[in-house]
Parts: sequence; C-alpha cells; structure tokens
Amino acid sequence: PRGELRDDAADSPAAARAWRRPTGCRGLNAVAEEAVPQAAKPEAVGSAGPQEPVLRRCELPVPAPRRPVQAWVESLRGYEQERVGLAELHPEVFSTAPRLDILHQVAIWQRNFKRISYAKTKTRAEVQGGGRKPWPQKGSGRSRHGSIRSPIWRGGGIAHGPRGPTSYYYMLPMKVRVQGLKVALTVKLAQDDLHIVDSLELPTSDPQYLTELARYRHWGDSVLLVDLAYENMPQNIVAATTGLKTFNLIPAVGLNVYSMLKHQTLVLTLQTLAFLEEKLLWHDSRYTPLYPFRLPYRDFP
Amino acid sequence: MAALSASGVTRRGLAWVVLGAPRREFWSRFRKEKKPLVPETVEEVKEKPILVCPPLRSRTYIPPEDLQSRVESCVREIFGSSVPSSWQDVSLEDGHLKFGLLSRLADDLGHAVPNSRLHQMCRVRDVLDFYNVPIHDRSKFDELIASNLPPNLKITWGY
Repeated sequence: PRGELRDDAADSPAAARAWRRPTGCRGLNAVAEEAVPQAAKPEAVGSAGPQEPVLRRCELPVPAPRRPVQAWVESLRGYEQERVGLAELHPEVFSTAPRLDILHQVAIWQRNFKRISYAKTKTRAEVQGGGRKPWPQKGSGRSRHGSIRSPIWRGGGIAHGPRGPTSYYYMLPMKVRVQGLKVALTVKLAQDDLHIVDSLELPTSDPQYLTELARYRHWGDSVLLVDLAYENMPQNIVAATTGLKTFNLIPAVGLNVYSMLKHQTLVLTLQTLAFLEEKLLWHDSRYTPLYPFRLPYRDFP
Repeated sequence: MAALSASGVTRRGLAWVVLGAPRREFWSRFRKEKKPLVPETVEEVKEKPILVCPPLRSRTYIPPEDLQSRVESCVREIFGSSVPSSWQDVSLEDGHLKFGLLSRLADDLGHAVPNSRLHQMCRVRDVLDFYNVPIHDRSKFDELIASNLPPNLKITWGY
C-alpha cells in the first residue's frame, strides 16, 4: 500500500508539487554554501588546517598609549585543540583598573534590587481583640494595663516588626553597571579564568565530553559559556549543558557580574567578544540621554 | 521495540486465529523481519569515532637545560633566515609570527603562556624569561611541609 501511494504522488503533477522536497532542505544546503565563504573572512580564517591561525583584531579604535591585551583562541571540537588562534582584546574593557568596590556594589545590587521581603507581623492594633481595659486602673492589685494585646503581653502585637512587603529596589547608574562588567571581565582575564573559543560546536552532545574537556584543560569546577544569541546556539552544546549543573550556557545579553563571580571560568565566543566590546565601549563616549534608552534611538548599538 | 514486537505477535496471533492461516508462515515472517535489524545497529555503533580523553597533565614545569638553543631554533624556523644575530630582540608584533612561535614552543615544552601574560610577550627575550621560570603544582601546605621547619613547628593536614 505504501508503494502505491508513492506512485500516485509521482504521477499526478499537483501531488508531485506537494510532495517535492521541502524548500528547507535545499535552503539548508544553499545557506551552508553561502555560509562557507562568509565565514572565511580575511581576519578570521581558521578551520582549514593547523597552519592557519584565527587572528582577531580589535574593531574599535584603541587609544594611543594603550595596547591591546591578548588571549588564545581555543576550540571545543577536540581535547587537544587549545591554541587555534590569537585574539586581541580592547584594553578599556579587558584591562581596566581592578575596581573591586565597583564589583562589590554591582554584585550586591544584583542580589538586592529584585528582593521583595514579604514578612509582615501584626501590631497591637491588628491583633484580634484587645479593645477593652482588662481590669480597672486601681484597686485590683495587678499592674495597670489598657489592652490584652499590647506588646508586653503574651500573644500581643509586635512593636517594631517587619511591616508589609518591603521592596529593596534601587538602581545604580548605568555607567557604574557598565564599569562593573568591564572590571569583571578584566579580573577574569587577569586571573587566567577567561577563555576565548571560535565557536561553541561540540563533536558529541555527551555532557561527559564537556566535563572531561574542562578537566583536561584545567578550567575549574564551574564554567559559564556565553554564546551570541538564543537562536543559533548549536544543538550539541545545548543538550550537553542542560544535563549539567555547573556548566551553564547563556546568551550575550545575559552576561552579569554575579554569574561571572559565581562561575570559576568564563568562556566567550569571538562573536560575543565583538558584541560585548561594542556595547560596553559605547558608554565611554556617549551623551547624556534626553529620553530613556529603552525608547528607540537611531545610533544605539 | 519489545512492546511493538509483543503487540505485533498478539495481533498476528489473533489474525491467525481469525483467518485460520497456518502458524509457521507468520512466525517465519516475524523472525525474518527481526534478524536484519541487529547487524545494522552494530555497524552504526562501530562507525562513530570514539573520543578518548588524553591523560591528565600536571602543571609542573621544569625548564630544560637546552632551553635557549630550542628557543633559538624555533625562532629561526618561524622567522626564516632573516634573523639577526641578536635574535633575542626580535619583536613579536605580527600576529602570525607570534602565534606560530608561541604555539610551537608550547607544543614543544608542554607549557603554554597563560592569557594574562600574552600581552607582555613583546620580544623573544620576554618569552625566554617566561620559560626560564619553573612552575610547581604543589599547594602552599605541601611546600611548607617539604621545607626546613624549626623543630617546634608541626603542620598537621587533618582534612
């Protein structure tokens, strides 16, 4: 019966049009063919062989007395591929002053600004009962009281307890938060905990491969992997990291100081690097906003 | 797989009961369908390349005695014949040459320049000074225990 259906589909033209290979298959091949020459940019040719290193230059101008910092470009495709190229990093982002006070401010802000404490206790006015004077002022021999729910009574209200949901929301200036990110990246690089990777493609989706790779390269117990965007994350790395607790994968917009301090190692891709440098360096030379940045600007990066 | 085959057996068993066809044909068909599946899965497993983790390396590094000659030979290989006699002053500005030299030395000596110190390697002299420093993988406690301690100081590692 299945063969007969196929013959019918091949014969009738309308059914043939419906049955022809979906455009996605041809589209995939076409996209792959287009992607190969696009990936072979003059500055980042690397995958051909061991002879051609991946060299990445700083796109944004580096101020004159300072020189770019450098890092190895590694690859996750094999255990031994630890030196696939050399990347130049902008010194204003990866070699700023190590402002630990700014790191502390930003990390504490991240913990606290979302906090709403829901603790609430009842005062003497809110506790049920206690409107009547329990005994007359004079004559009974007992101490004088006005209500049975005052704070000195057992079962009475709390005098200075937590009152209702309290919000600990506050915002640090945008430039302080940006500087915090720059300082965190600087600290990661200075302590040899930053690794640049050409792309997050793995040969298998086995989580054990990733853990063994990190163990072999002395990365540390926890690794934060940063890709550019949610859409184009390779399937293997997504599958591997969903199974692991200490290896976390985030898009570039999700990079924050708390996560960088929490994880021992930070792994960035080359695209993420360009994205971060552009976004973080724009704030050095921008005008003060006339309207909030969340509304559209023409030249916002 | 087992559930499917069980349901197939029961379905065919019922069909046989209903249709009254001989049992052997159905059982032989069932057996023939089952056999070709097994060798296919075995072949697929063999075709996948097995990724084996190489043995873990220790971070200890002791500079070899012929370090200078090794570095000089690497420099002459990478930079070609246009190397003056003062090869230690050759600058590593160019990315290709720097990458080539540092990766060759790292593969040769088993010890790579860490990311934090790559920007300090401006000349071959800096690379030589870096590789002249030995690196030990011991913790501070092990170093203290191994060093000469006064007789009234005892270190107990009680963890």
